[in-house]
Amino acid sequence: MVFEKIINWLRQPKNFGKILMMPSSFILNLVLIIPFSILIYLGFTNYIPARGIEWWRSDIVGLTNFIKVIGDERFLWALLRTIIFVFTVVPIEFLLGLGIALLFLGNFKGKKIFTSIILYPMMVPWITVGLAFFLLFLDFGPVNSIILKPIFGETATISWYRDPILAFLTVMLADIWQWTPLMFLILYSGLVAVPERLIEAAKVLGASETQILKRIRLPLIKPLIIVALIIRSLEAFKVFDTIFIMTGAGGPGTATETISCYIYKLSIQYSNLSYASAASLIILIMIALVTRVAIKPLAVKPE
Amino acid sequence: MNFKQILRYILLIIVALWTLGPVVWMISLSLKPPAEWYSANIIPKKLILDNYINLFNSSVPIGGTYFMTSIAEAITVPYINSLIIASISTVFAVLIGFCTAYGVSRYKAGGTFTLFFTLLTRMLPGATFVAPLLVYYSTFGLIDTHIGLILLYTAVTLTYAIWILKGYIDEIPLEWEEAALLEGAAPWTVITHVTFPLIRGGILASALFIFILNWTEFLFALVLSVTKAITLPVQISLYASAVGRMYGSQAACGLIATIPMVILGYTIQRYLVTGFTFGRVR
Repeated sequence: MVFEKIINWLRQPKNFGKILMMPSSFILNLVLIIPFSILIYLGFTNYIPARGIEWWRSDIVGLTNFIKVIGDERFLWALLRTIIFVFTVVPIEFLLGLGIALLFLGNFKGKKIFTSIILYPMMVPWITVGLAFFLLFLDFGPVNSIILKPIFGETATISWYRDPILAFLTVMLADIWQWTPLMFLILYSGLVAVPERLIEAAKVLGASETQILKRIRLPLIKPLIIVALIIRSLEAFKVFDTIFIMTGAGGPGTATETISCYIYKLSIQYSNLSYASAASLIILIMIALVTRVAIKPLAVKPE
Repeated sequence: MNFKQILRYILLIIVALWTLGPVVWMISLSLKPPAEWYSANIIPKKLILDNYINLFNSSVPIGGTYFMTSIAEAITVPYINSLIIASISTVFAVLIGFCTAYGVSRYKAGGTFTLFFTLLTRMLPGATFVAPLLVYYSTFGLIDTHIGLILLYTAVTLTYAIWILKGYIDEIPLEWEEAALLEGAAPWTVITHVTFPLIRGGILASALFIFILNWTEFLFALVLSVTKAITLPVQISLYASAVGRMYGSQAACGLIATIPMVILGYTIQRYLVTGFTFGRVR
């Protein structure tokens, strides 16, 4: 009986849309919604695996974890550091990407080869990028031995990973190396789509190249620029792989510890899962708010 | 050739050097014997392939007789694991993503919440899900299993499949499908005979893109796999944190992981932007 009812329900055309949504809601519930509920629950408990009490039996301690996280200097520093990271790396990537995109306007010999070369970093796994830059900045690595020594003499060896600021710089450089091509690709495809007749008209009226760029090209691709910046910023906020490889998820000390690294360490190395969950929830709420605001320009399709 | 052209080429060459530099150094390092790892020459004095061969040879302690390290596992298992996990979850994600995208686009099922939710899951740092996933997976014995990682990867990359494919489905004129429906075709037949063939390009592009994402995923694999289901990126990180500092093998390992990516990457070059920006920018 029940079986027949189900078959009948499935056969009705008006339910077809719902059937289509079933597999995805199944998998999203199974792998994202359930862990998400666990995350919220854990945030309010004092579960630490080492205590030997199962997570569903550990005490509920209310907001204690959250209050501790908000007062945790290391958490706040990691947050600040991540924000600094995003606001340094993304503008540089944008400017470099724009510069390279402008270089590629018009026709010249070898354009295809240069495009392929410049897109290369996009195809390198995150982890290999970390590895490559880790090898570059070693004490005896090529940055020291090929670039610095000929200029500053034999003694000019810099220990990049020992100095907090320099270590942070190397991590940023890796990110810039990897993501500038994406910015280039987005901006270039936008710039090429700007109608040629507008530019011709401006030229006839006696506009210079910089004027054309400022008054015509950039304003026309503004929606594109906003979308690219938002998406890139949210992605840069997640940075983990390269830092994990290059500085062991935060070294020296906590100089390169971003929010992802800190939460990872809380969960794995310190295995303080409740505390990690509380920190995660705070980050989650922040990102959800930002995404809520950021989704508006994303929803508008730039023509 | 005027001054402007020359300037353009100079700048282009600088950009090209900056882009290729790290990779060239890695290639050079992977071909050098251990004695040369600390010298500054780019072209190896003695060219060897040992660094690559050792990766596949579990009986030889990595680094030969020069160094002893904590790991001596062959790279074969992680490589096969990565292939299996990445391809199965790609197929799942694309098929499920297609159904969802079709439902959202044609039947307005799920509403905007589904879209917002899936977008949100991509914006969140993966690290925020580490603690609950550990608890969840260890409760159900899914840690260090292929199926655990496959399920997770499917869910995480579903967003991309939905957003990319929705863009393609939206572009098909409704009348074509309506015509088929009027002729008396069942909704499923319309999907398999009209919609699916029309967006074959989109399916392929999203599949390759998602495969790349799965292939490079690191954080979840690091947390949820130990030995049996260990993936390639995790194996690479083991080299990076090994005691003896195996620079040559490390470089070789990183390069080996890059090869499939580069082939696929250049194949879908023009779709890459669509992928990274959820089809919002084209």
